[in-house]
Amino acid sequence: MRSRGSGKTDSRRRGPRLLAGGLTGVLAGSLLAACGTSSAGTGPVTINFYNFSDPSGAVQTAVNNCSTQSGGKYVITYNKLPAAADQQRLQLVRRLAAADPSMDILGLDVTWEAEFAQAGWILPWTGTYLQQATQGTLKVPLETATWHSKLYAVPYNSNTQLLWYRSDLVKTPPTTWTQMINDAIKLKNEGKPHLIEIQGAQYEGVTVWFNTMVASAGGSILTPNALHASLGAPALTALKIMRQLATSPAADPSLTVQMEDQNRLAMESGAAAFELNYPFVYPSMKADNPAMFKHFRWALYPRVNPNVPAHVTIGGIDMAVSRYSPHPQLAFQAALCLRDRANQLNAAVKGGLPPTLASLYSDPALFPDYPFHADILTALQNASVRPKTPAYQNISIVISHLVSPPASIQPLSTEPAMASQINDALQSKGLVP
Amino acid sequence: MTTSTEVVTSGEPAVTGASGRRRLSEGARAERRLGWLLCAPAVIAMLLVAGYPIFYAVYLSLQRYDLRFPQLAHFVGLSNYGAVLSSSYWWHALIVTLIITVVSVAIEFALGMLLALLMYRTIFGRGTVRTTILIPYGIVTVAAAFGWQYAWTPHIGYLVGSNAPLTKTGSAIAIIILAEIWKTTPFMALLLMAGLSLVPEDLLKAARVDGATAWQRFYRVTLPLMKPAILVALLFRTLDAFRIFDNIYVLTAGGNGTYSVSILGYDNLFTALNLGIGSAISILIFICVAIIAFIFIRIFGAAAPGTTGR
Amino acid sequence: MAATTRQRSGWLTANIVTMLLVLIPVLWVVSLSFKNPATIAATGRATFWPTSWTWVNYRGIFSSSEFTRPLLNSIGIGLIATFISVALASLAAYAVARLAFPGKQVLIGMALLIAMFPLISLVTPMFGIERALGLFNTWPGLIIPYIAFGLPLGIYTLSAFFREIPWELEKAAKVDGATPFQAFVRVIAPLAAPGMVTTAILVFLFCWNEFLLAISLTSTTAARTAPAALAFFTGSSQFAVPTGSISAAAVVITIPIIIFVLFFQRRIVAGLTSGAVKG
Repeated sequence: MRSRGSGKTDSRRRGPRLLAGGLTGVLAGSLLAACGTSSAGTGPVTINFYNFSDPSGAVQTAVNNCSTQSGGKYVITYNKLPAAADQQRLQLVRRLAAADPSMDILGLDVTWEAEFAQAGWILPWTGTYLQQATQGTLKVPLETATWHSKLYAVPYNSNTQLLWYRSDLVKTPPTTWTQMINDAIKLKNEGKPHLIEIQGAQYEGVTVWFNTMVASAGGSILTPNALHASLGAPALTALKIMRQLATSPAADPSLTVQMEDQNRLAMESGAAAFELNYPFVYPSMKADNPAMFKHFRWALYPRVNPNVPAHVTIGGIDMAVSRYSPHPQLAFQAALCLRDRANQLNAAVKGGLPPTLASLYSDPALFPDYPFHADILTALQNASVRPKTPAYQNISIVISHLVSPPASIQPLSTEPAMASQINDALQSKGLVP
Repeated sequence: MTTSTEVVTSGEPAVTGASGRRRLSEGARAERRLGWLLCAPAVIAMLLVAGYPIFYAVYLSLQRYDLRFPQLAHFVGLSNYGAVLSSSYWWHALIVTLIITVVSVAIEFALGMLLALLMYRTIFGRGTVRTTILIPYGIVTVAAAFGWQYAWTPHIGYLVGSNAPLTKTGSAIAIIILAEIWKTTPFMALLLMAGLSLVPEDLLKAARVDGATAWQRFYRVTLPLMKPAILVALLFRTLDAFRIFDNIYVLTAGGNGTYSVSILGYDNLFTALNLGIGSAISILIFICVAIIAFIFIRIFGAAAPGTTGR
Repeated sequence: MAATTRQRSGWLTANIVTMLLVLIPVLWVVSLSFKNPATIAATGRATFWPTSWTWVNYRGIFSSSEFTRPLLNSIGIGLIATFISVALASLAAYAVARLAFPGKQVLIGMALLIAMFPLISLVTPMFGIERALGLFNTWPGLIIPYIAFGLPLGIYTLSAFFREIPWELEKAAKVDGATPFQAFVRVIAPLAAPGMVTTAILVFLFCWNEFLLAISLTSTTAARTAPAALAFFTGSSQFAVPTGSISAAAVVITIPIIIFVLFFQRRIVAGLTSGAVKG
């Protein structure tokens, strides 16, 4: 009968599946058992450090060094967070809101401190820890970690943008935006590579650009007490310049989807003459395009006002201690060790991340891999920070949606729209796009 | 009376007789018990996992609740829904989502049917063709989306010259639809092919003997018999298309006006940590999807599961 | 029924054209995986194939357990969840298709409700529950939700299949003296095989592709699956998008799928041809 034939297919199909299922069941069981027995018994305390995944290896070295240096008091475990900043924040927020005790030291992006501090998720630094954290640290990075006059995190590394240009195309670098755009147009008329690379996609990077421009024009996005939008004339100037660049021949056709890495690639491919980007482009150019590297130079970020240095918005990572950490004192000590002089120097040399300790900028060990250290220091000393408020994420989304694509900015109508939407965002009113 | 004791599981009408009423209810009761018993594990699994979260989501949508300040949460009734429905962001997202859903499902259905016919009836290398067609569905969505993004980026991709189609709303949405179609047509094709295999050969042979052309055979014999499979394919594919997220997130991150309702929900729920509004958006998405499902089941009527085909 | 040459060449053309259209984006991903990240950008139009082929991306992803462990997790979690989900769905679908009992519509509605509800709003409460139960970052912590979310599709697909199986076969088997269980195993199950295999493939691919739960309910490679692991890939700097690594990982992840599908695709239509009634 028919059924006998089908029966054979039937058991042949079921057999392997049952076997696979059984095997994986056993595997799962044994894995589960292994998972459960990690922290039994006495011994050094485990300090869980959550940070972005560092490709250079410097963070892992710091973790190993500090674990050894603790003299048996604690062992630091480096737990990696996803590569994208907003995914990192999501993971941290979700677990902090659930009062997760398995996180001790948190590597925070410089814009999260106000939010985390106001929510009561991170501990303020006091006493000797405060002193050790602030001693010798650059002023502006410390400002990112301060909320309501208390320090909530210790700066680990900073980051700031420079103007990168090709000396075979441009003999002297421009000092203002107007100059730079004119130089680019001149190059275009000569038929040479002429693009100005900058981040124009609808994301945090374009908010950083806007913040830099507003600060360089002498204004700020929020009032000093962070309760209302400020904007005004400096914001109008900023918007005008952004629109001018986007509608000029100097704009990269992909401007509206470009982030830092796309800018780097465009520069390395030879299409661009100028680039506004972080120092990571330097070792990359050296490795990827040695021929162009010979003419690859840097200068300070172009000014808006010819008489006032640009106030470039900084990035970076600060280390905070979670309120739910079972060992806060040890966590403070471990964090201070992770960002001490030796480890920051290593991070700068290996990973290209600007240190936050001022004295390192005159340390000769930094110079070979960091020839632009003087300009970075100048930039950091004149730097600006992004608006400090727990509602920063909302504000950032509002701004990025209004200034990207930059070519569709209409300064006179964009500025009031931005002001009203920022005020709404500060109250957490309504939706974010 | 000892007739037909196998009444128990086949659901046939019981024999009536002097004790007929009792036996009817006994047989029916046993059938009921068996039915509940067979469904119980699935129901328990679904309730355990999704029951409380769904209730909680509905509960949250009626609160003003910022994840950072749980102690400030308070009941606000339907004002979250009011805020969402009066926001231009919601309506823009809804329109974008509807466009993507309708266009991609329609094309996927047509292509899926063609592919199903190919997979079922081709003479050469059936195994190869079937496996090849399923590969797009097997590549992790995020990785495939990255591939498309790079393909459409100037100087890096093979599909563009120097203009950047991902930067303009219209062409970006077209690219998103293309990525969706490429990724999930195999899903449709697989379900439709399984549906094709349910059509008995002899019916088709009889139709051919009667002189029906290939198209008539397809339209009059195959298609009606495939209705249950078509319903499942269309229904689930539409529900998934309406909640599109991964492809948009990677291709444009919702920028340049390409954000869908799911991306809007994600932004409000996770980035702004506004649980009240985010949950309200989710419930509204659910309501839209429920309306779509209702329409489909209405159209397909007798082909819906739970209705008897007998 | 020998096919004419025209028919054969027609099918052959259809095969080839389809496979090309389907495979070109796949080959693009393969090509990206062999391109050196340093040379991905070109001055003019980029080439499809690499100008110089390199294994550096593949070496990179296998150099640490950041990828290999999630790959194993994906396979294990996917197989277990698929097996259990299809089993439970079969039982429920059989009941829905064959039996009369109150609450049937409720079950169908509940399954559809779960299939329709946006996952983003379910993640946070699920996270809370799993933490409370100690399931966070474990295999069961992902397996159990995947079972639940794979059930709706399974129930719908399988009930569509069970409906089409003629009653008479089951009755005939019983008349021949088989118990209900034997009737199910010998007669019904083989006829339902195409549906079960189709459902298994679809549920497995759902678990394989699923991202949101995988990244929200895990924190280390102990339970993280492959799609979530991709979010942890970094390039040479924190700004670099690791195209090469992601593409190489995508290629590697797809190979088990190809094997899985190749193995099962024959069973999709096995056994269900005419003659079942006659035999």
